[in-house]
Amino acid sequence: MSEHTSPEDRLDELTAELPREVAPPPDLWPAIRAELAPRSGRTIHWNPRWRLAAAGLLVAASSSIITLLAVRSREPARESSVVASTDSAPTAGERLPAHLLVAERGYARSIDALWRTLDERRDSLAPSTVATVERSLRIADSAIAEARSALERDPANRVLADLLVSNYERKIDLLRRATELAPRT
Amino acid sequence: MVRALSLVRHEESVGSPRLAVGDDGLVDRARRGDVDAFEQLYRLHSGRVYALCLRLAADATVARELTQDTFVRAWEALPRFRAEANLTTWLHRIAVNAMLERRRGEKRRAARVSLADDEDEAEMVVSGVVMAPDVATAIDLERAIGALPPGVRRAFVLHDVEGYTHEEIATMTGLAAGTLRAQLHRARQLLMRVLSL
Repeated sequence: MSEHTSPEDRLDELTAELPREVAPPPDLWPAIRAELAPRSGRTIHWNPRWRLAAAGLLVAASSSIITLLAVRSREPARESSVVASTDSAPTAGERLPAHLLVAERGYARSIDALWRTLDERRDSLAPSTVATVERSLRIADSAIAEARSALERDPANRVLADLLVSNYERKIDLLRRATELAPRT
Repeated sequence: MVRALSLVRHEESVGSPRLAVGDDGLVDRARRGDVDAFEQLYRLHSGRVYALCLRLAADATVARELTQDTFVRAWEALPRFRAEANLTTWLHRIAVNAMLERRRGEKRRAARVSLADDEDEAEMVVSGVVMAPDVATAIDLERAIGALPPGVRRAFVLHDVEGYTHEEIATMTGLAAGTLRAQLHRARQLLMRVLSL
């Protein structure tokens, strides 16, 4: 320090000498890590594709709620009897409009083809990833089944028809993304 | 209260917060939920965050809690972190917010208007340090900073120590430019007096 340094400059000098880093307590990271655990457990295998898939699932799950709301809003006197079947394959669809039956057959073909591809590549995926895919597909199937069941009771309901179609498309999108995750063997 | 910091002087300039090489990749991985990548980010940045918290809080226990809070919040907010932003600045902002929220909570709990930024308290707090004979030349700047009233201390730490501009501090704290200038002036006056500069 120069004897002629002004107080202002001296304060600046002292301040500039302050360390920018101070080592935190060594046990701090474990404490932080413990708080991250809930999220990291869910997302340990996360990547952008899975985020998109999850977003799709969220919408699919939301659509189930919308399905119920749509049914209830149109049929306030009827007690809801939506069954959350895990089987989304077209069955007993005679009560659905013809154009939806045609669309369902197309979706079924696409889904079968994607399933075959996924089965072939299944071994290249981590077990946890396979579990995630299967869980996601079960949710998608459930959303399809709910929309379909509701539509069978109210075939003229266009909101339900749109929901059913979009749920099928989301399932196909999920399968497609899953096959993209699995490298060709 | 304020502990002497065991310190490793960082070579970088005050005005250029570190953007560690490889941060981008780590941020990307951490954003996708990779805790190991987040731990590496913690190792790279926790020293600076903890130093800031320690100076803002002037209390090691509170600094620890703030640092923990900062990184937990960062983890949760990381998906929204913009790639072009500076990670250190972003973390510092979270730390400052955590500090401000803590102070607001304390004020509510105390059910009284805090006098922390009051000029009288500034005098009282700092004069407490000055009272001891001949201590002024011995006291180090860290302790003097820690003895400043919280608002004044925050302004000084962010501006003079961390090198943030008035605009950046205004964004972080919501302080009006005039208030910030006044706090900075007050901080420097108090420190110069305490340190007998």
